[in-house]
Amino acid sequence: MSDLILEIKNLIIDALDLEDVTPDDIEDEAPLFVDGLGLDSIDALELGVAIKKAYKVKIDGNTEESKKYFYSVKSLHDFVLKAQN
Amino acid sequence: MELAFQIAKCVAWAPGVETEQEWCLWQAEKHDFSSDISLPALKAIPAMQRRRLSPFAKVSLHCALEASDHRQGDLPCVFSSRHGDLNRTTKLIENVAAKEDLSPTQFGLSVHNAVSGLYSIYTKNQAPISAIASGKTSFMAGLVDSVVKLHVNQLDHILYVYTDLSVPDCYSGYLDTNESIGIGLLIQASAFQGEGFKLSSATTNHAVLMGIQSLDFLNFYYGDAISWNTPVNKQTWTLTKN
Repeated sequence: MSDLILEIKNLIIDALDLEDVTPDDIEDEAPLFVDGLGLDSIDALELGVAIKKAYKVKIDGNTEESKKYFYSVKSLHDFVLKAQN
Repeated sequence: MELAFQIAKCVAWAPGVETEQEWCLWQAEKHDFSSDISLPALKAIPAMQRRRLSPFAKVSLHCALEASDHRQGDLPCVFSSRHGDLNRTTKLIENVAAKEDLSPTQFGLSVHNAVSGLYSIYTKNQAPISAIASGKTSFMAGLVDSVVKLHVNQLDHILYVYTDLSVPDCYSGYLDTNESIGIGLLIQASAFQGEGFKLSSATTNHAVLMGIQSLDFLNFYYGDAISWNTPVNKQTWTLTKN
């Protein structure tokens, strides 16, 4: 697991109060929303704020692009990497 | 005019005083509140919903669910609180002061009717629900609203939930009391079998509330006294046991 992947998993757990979840429980490429981890629309907003705070990158509201970024830990990781470079 | 009603079930929560037996001992001054807060576990609520509950929400939902025996579906409700979820609101105000982004979850759940909303979603309850705040007399204002709704709308049952948790340190200097208390009352029409009460009011010029209204009510409910007077603005409300 790369450092940034682990960091994003911990960010998700902390920002969304996932009390009983550990980074190992979250699969890198599994969907975060509905299926998989089972997050909802409020979590999407919360995660957007947390990502902005941590990495100074802004994900625009409800667009097809943002849905792709939010799909999994891996897609968030790729987005953050790209935005930072 | 007198309004008759019954209390089918009373559930009260305070730090260290949670069961009916503990409340009776508290009333008899043989048991007191503890300084540690151990929050209700609320295992009935799925973990993904429970994770967003603040201590205030946990105490409110515990009292609501226990008083209504976890009833699902329509049950009219009144929720009342003097301060609401002030611990949550204070964090948001601090974020604003520090020019930080606000947490959407915290923001959405800090409004005064947030807990009643969570309760209605969890119990699939589409009946009318109101949320009340009335300063130091919030407990009685909510109880009066519940009993009046029971009569005017000719309801069989109405759920009344009152909650206040001790306020953040930055506010405690402005208050003369800083209690943590949750009360859930399943109120029902007097045609049923249950513990009967009558509610009446008189207009007074100087009605000053001494003490803590919610705790005064519990002292009356669990004690032997047959009547209890308490003010709301320029009215004095009298509660009498049948």
